[in-house]
Amino acid sequence: MSAALPIPVIQLLQVLTVGLGAPLVMGFIAAVEARLQGRRGPRILQPYYDLAKLCRKEALAPAGASWFFLAAPLIAVAAYLTIPLLIPVLTSFPLPLGYMGDILGGGFLLALASFVVATAALATGSPYAQLGASRAKTFSAITEPVVLFVVFTVALLTGTDLPYALAATVRSSAGEVIRPAHLLASAALFMVILHETGRIPVETHTGTSEFGMIEEARAFEHSGPYFALLKWGSMLKQLILLTILDNVFLAPWGLAASHQPGPVALAIVALLAKAGGVGVVVAVIDDSFAKLRLFKITEYASAAFLLAVIGVFTLYLGGG
Amino acid sequence: MDPAPGVYVGVANALAAVMLLLEFGMLRQALARDQVRLYAAQSALISVLAVVIAADRGLPDLYALAALSGGLKVVAVPYVLRRLLPGPPGRRGPGWLSRLGQDPAGWRRRDEPPGVAGSHTLSPASAVLASIALAAFGFFCLGSLRMGGLTVAATALAIAGAMTFVAFGLMIIRRDVASQAIGFFSLENAISLAALVVAAGLPLILETAFLFDLLVAVVVFGMLIRAHHGAAGSLSTADLTRLKG
Repeated sequence: MSAALPIPVIQLLQVLTVGLGAPLVMGFIAAVEARLQGRRGPRILQPYYDLAKLCRKEALAPAGASWFFLAAPLIAVAAYLTIPLLIPVLTSFPLPLGYMGDILGGGFLLALASFVVATAALATGSPYAQLGASRAKTFSAITEPVVLFVVFTVALLTGTDLPYALAATVRSSAGEVIRPAHLLASAALFMVILHETGRIPVETHTGTSEFGMIEEARAFEHSGPYFALLKWGSMLKQLILLTILDNVFLAPWGLAASHQPGPVALAIVALLAKAGGVGVVVAVIDDSFAKLRLFKITEYASAAFLLAVIGVFTLYLGGG
Repeated sequence: MDPAPGVYVGVANALAAVMLLLEFGMLRQALARDQVRLYAAQSALISVLAVVIAADRGLPDLYALAALSGGLKVVAVPYVLRRLLPGPPGRRGPGWLSRLGQDPAGWRRRDEPPGVAGSHTLSPASAVLASIALAAFGFFCLGSLRMGGLTVAATALAIAGAMTFVAFGLMIIRRDVASQAIGFFSLENAISLAALVVAAGLPLILETAFLFDLLVAVVVFGMLIRAHHGAAGSLSTADLTRLKG
């Protein structure tokens, strides 16, 4: 056996895996989506090239925008890069910094990132960026109850609100996997993730029509490296949410149980493979459904809410 | 906190939960044909549940019941329902079909009957919220019975209670005869679910008798649907409010 990796290295690897893997997952989903449409599609590595190209471009700010406009992408990315420290990315045992925050802590960081991006969009005075920011906030307020009920489910299942605890509970027996509360909460979380990552049926990810945009419209006024940071931020958000879905809810297997380099390396591959697996499902949904009209999104959210609420109900009689 | 019940119980509970979700789907679904499809799916799940319980508890009778219930509720009843639903007024099948006498009175199989879409009395989101409240009421009512000694968890029974209330909600919220018929039939599904959970060992002859009760209901509702359509030209019951004195 080779020497164990020091804990700070593993924690750094968690951040690096999410940070460097996020564009890969984004590119993979785009490639699968293109294949399903019968196109050859972009290279899987295309998002890296896009980010590199944007970083070489000039950065401009609208006249009258405050310093916050330029600080927002940095704050958002910093928030996104903190979250991998809190959730099980590579190891099945909690790392020391994993106790910095629970599920709510991660939720606050996600909300903070989304808040600063929306505020920066408002600071521009551009109508489309403002429209995107206002819609994003409106709809995230509607999906918030769903997230809360998913958290309740976790709390009722484990007695804690630590993501590591739920992953351990799910791993413990087949009965835990099949229980309705777990299945329903996972399904509700998946629906929220589709919403949060701007996928069909809520938003066209690659669309160019401003009227249908929600999250995508917020970055209209940013340019150059700042725009690259925002794009990277949305890729990070996607991989973080998929990591939570995979490593906490759906398939918390393949995580390293020790400090050895072998299992940790395997965990990196497993995480990207699992995220890719969910990505295929996302791509299939992207290609087989139509975008909902804006005012139908409440119905989508109410369906997710229904799943989460019934999940909590079933727990109250012990059995669920 | 609570350890998970066994895999069989988990499967039974999960199937029950999916049946409840399908009930909500019927509530939301705008088209009668799709409602019939959801009903068939729900009935298929109850057959699967019967098989799971039969395997878990070693009750060979239940396999027969699952097959019978599947044949009846997944194939026969949806087929009859689809035949019964009338097409839009004034539209007949292709001429050659009428000439052959194969298209009596212009009942067409493929078209959506009038009056079903848009028969919601509440907006979709409020309908879902109201039904969640109903489901919670039904769920906790049956859950508080604390029936001991059940091999399949009380959760599935409570879900059956929730389904019953949502089925009633479906019949109240939707203002068309077709949805009300579907709501009634799925009410029967909810009761079958409760029966399977509470009294899986019921003699086969009794279970079969319940199934045939459903056929009577199908015939009665079929006559109601056709009579209402004949009188009003639509399946919507909104026209009936004019009968007030």
